[in-house]
Amino acid sequence: METINFILSGLGGQGILFLSKVLARCALNKGFPVLGAETHGMAQRGGSVIAHLRLGNVKGSLVQEGTARFLLSLEENEAYRNLPFLAKEAFLYADASPEAFPKAGVKPYFKKRGITARALPVGRIALDLGAPLAANSGLLGFFAAFSDGPFLQAEIRETLESLSPDAFKALNLKVFDTCLEKGQKSG
Amino acid sequence: MNEAFLLGNGAIALGLLEGGCQVLTSYPGTPSSEILPEAVRLIRSEKLNTYAEWSTNEKVAFDNAYAAAISGKRAACCMKQVGLNVAADSLMSAAYLGTTGALVVISCDDPGPHSSQTEQDTRLMARLAKVPVLDPSTPQEARKMAALALDLSEKFQIPVILRPAIRVCHARQNFRWDPLKDPGKRAAFKKDPTRWAATPRFRYLLHQRLNETLLKVSERFSQLEGVNAHTLAENKKYPLGIIAGGVPHAVIRDILDENHRTDIPVLKLGAPYPFPEKLAFRFVRACNNVLVLEETDTLIEYLLGDRKKVLGRLSGHVPMAGELTPRVIARTLQRVQTELGVEPIALSEDQDVHELVEGLHLPVRKPTLCPGCPHRAAFFAIRKVQPKALFTSDIGCYTLGLNLGGVDTCLDMGAGITLASGFFQAYLQDGVHQPVVATMGDSTFFHSGTAGLMNAVYNDARFILVLLDNQTTAMTGMQPTPALGVRADGRMGKSISLERIVAGCGVDFIEVVDPYDIQAMTALLKKAEAYVTSPKGGIAVVIARHACVIAYRETAIPEKKPVAVTDKCDACGFCHQRFECPALVEDPEGGTTAVNRSLCADCGVCIQVCPKGAIVAA
Ligand code: SF4
Ligand code: SF4
Repeated sequence: METINFILSGLGGQGILFLSKVLARCALNKGFPVLGAETHGMAQRGGSVIAHLRLGNVKGSLVQEGTARFLLSLEENEAYRNLPFLAKEAFLYADASPEAFPKAGVKPYFKKRGITARALPVGRIALDLGAPLAANSGLLGFFAAFSDGPFLQAEIRETLESLSPDAFKALNLKVFDTCLEKGQKSG
Repeated sequence: MNEAFLLGNGAIALGLLEGGCQVLTSYPGTPSSEILPEAVRLIRSEKLNTYAEWSTNEKVAFDNAYAAAISGKRAACCMKQVGLNVAADSLMSAAYLGTTGALVVISCDDPGPHSSQTEQDTRLMARLAKVPVLDPSTPQEARKMAALALDLSEKFQIPVILRPAIRVCHARQNFRWDPLKDPGKRAAFKKDPTRWAATPRFRYLLHQRLNETLLKVSERFSQLEGVNAHTLAENKKYPLGIIAGGVPHAVIRDILDENHRTDIPVLKLGAPYPFPEKLAFRFVRACNNVLVLEETDTLIEYLLGDRKKVLGRLSGHVPMAGELTPRVIARTLQRVQTELGVEPIALSEDQDVHELVEGLHLPVRKPTLCPGCPHRAAFFAIRKVQPKALFTSDIGCYTLGLNLGGVDTCLDMGAGITLASGFFQAYLQDGVHQPVVATMGDSTFFHSGTAGLMNAVYNDARFILVLLDNQTTAMTGMQPTPALGVRADGRMGKSISLERIVAGCGVDFIEVVDPYDIQAMTALLKKAEAYVTSPKGGIAVVIARHACVIAYRETAIPEKKPVAVTDKCDACGFCHQRFECPALVEDPEGGTTAVNRSLCADCGVCIQVCPKGAIVAA
């Protein structure tokens, strides 16, 4: 199969590793070989956190610059910081306000590389639903809304459900569904 | 058949147990910390009899595993690369004495570095100690090599090092395995004082024997299928070949495959020391030039005796510091190819994007203590009472006290105390009584605090030592400490009191305080200061005891105190600069301070911090 690379970014404590686990499990369920790279240790204390996820027969766990098909970012600036990873015609999903994202200075670059940028304030939506820690589920829902990736919406939702701890299952799904719906409306 | 999506460290744990490891010890340190907990999970689920312990430091871990290895059992100890420095004394000697069973030393490297003081290369420690080393490129390979290392160690009766780098430890892959079995070997130490307690005369003989063993292992390494292997075709000459080991091998393999470059042969050295001479020289003979890609130092490059054909760090083609990321390796290869007139690979990266991103002036995200972290409160009180002191600190979350101006030094484990006494004496020699406040975490104190503290007491150094007791080893992922008494497998051991150790080191001033109570802590620090400076005084130890809010999410803040910022806030910025709680942010509308509700832990400490009284209970 052709390799599909994901970059997931955000800040320490936002649940990037969980996001990465859900996507990896979706891929494994479909029989794809998966290799991921995670951030542990010092950087997890509020610093920039990034996870790499590679579907395909690869050996190295890091995505090479210019080859990521998908970038999901739980923070706007971390999305910009990781732009060098994006391949041509890649897709970017950011926790940001759709009116202000992307910055004017970045638009020509997206145009040149054929990159599709999508934004939704998933963190604020999660907070309003009383689940400030479920922004990651929100971003997942927003990603699922467009079906740009190799997974069906239902596959992502089921995997999220099965991997969420019981105490957070209902809230995670609520945030997921809300952001999925908002994504569909915006698209 | 079992299946799981395991961390590389989990794959290593699996490989060890598949290889019949009966005793496993460790001291946590990124990127090695998850090996032992992952092993404990497997031991439980597979109902194995394997013994697993968190040891108090890496040397202790090494020796405990070594005892099993000279009793005929298979054992392993795990640590991070700088932890191997702590265990180096044991390693050097154990290389001479050898084993009767197996000892695998897992020392995880951190090219970057991402979470370490140095980028040191464990393979060079293997060379120094004269023990074999294996260098996996992927989690899958790390699993196989863990078992292989146990086999090699037992066969050649020598400790073997497994050196996974952070990109192996913290990669994730899917694994399947058959049910694991207990090897059931019983401890049988055979007394032989001429070997196990060898005097220098016998050590010379042991050294000779070690050299002979290494020659044999080198032979074996020249034929270690899959681990050391080349892709040369018979009787062909190549303008450029690549020798790579560990993670750089995985990266270059991907790059060559993606670019369909079958014209470039690769010699993979997954077992680089003792150097597989025959294999390496055959490869070099077939190539006009050889590019060496290895992390993080120059082991292979040094061992390739004739370096005329060799391109690498010493020739300036590979960076001398930092991680060899796919970007660095792709650019290195392209440059070398261009120089040699070989068709260069196409780079996937966009040439302008870095300039674009730089132009955005994105905020630098430095790591910070968590909202509600008790260390923040402690550092705030320390700075308040002793603004002019020298602040010696140590390794742990609390190194991030840097951001509050409460950390001036961080050398290595234990140096919070030893540098404190050293500074004190260096100034006192000139007649200056320099105030010094040392900070050290509970786990670090158990690891290497006591020798330094006894030394300081004995030599009458004077400083305040604040033991930041958050009842866990937080930075590395919340491992228990001896004070808790909970052992690696969840059983209870005996808990050890910090107070009693400190008293046992000869300290007479020992007081405990909750750092959340900033007033109480400042009052206590003032008392400590008076004690330290009085002629009859000595070292004052303040134990700032409050549980880590992450490890004890439910209980660390028994009384939640939500806060609000009133309009008394005049945007002076004091709370940002001096307290730097990430939950206190600049209000986007007014420039004053606001509370980020999704980050705030409701600890209420900032109420005591704002000089204008603008932060209040909500
Ligand atoms: S993990 Fe615990 S000790 Fe470490 S910064 Fe967070 S609250 Fe503090
Ligand atoms: S109460 Fe104050 S100090 Fe505590 S986490 Fe919230 S903002 Fe930070």
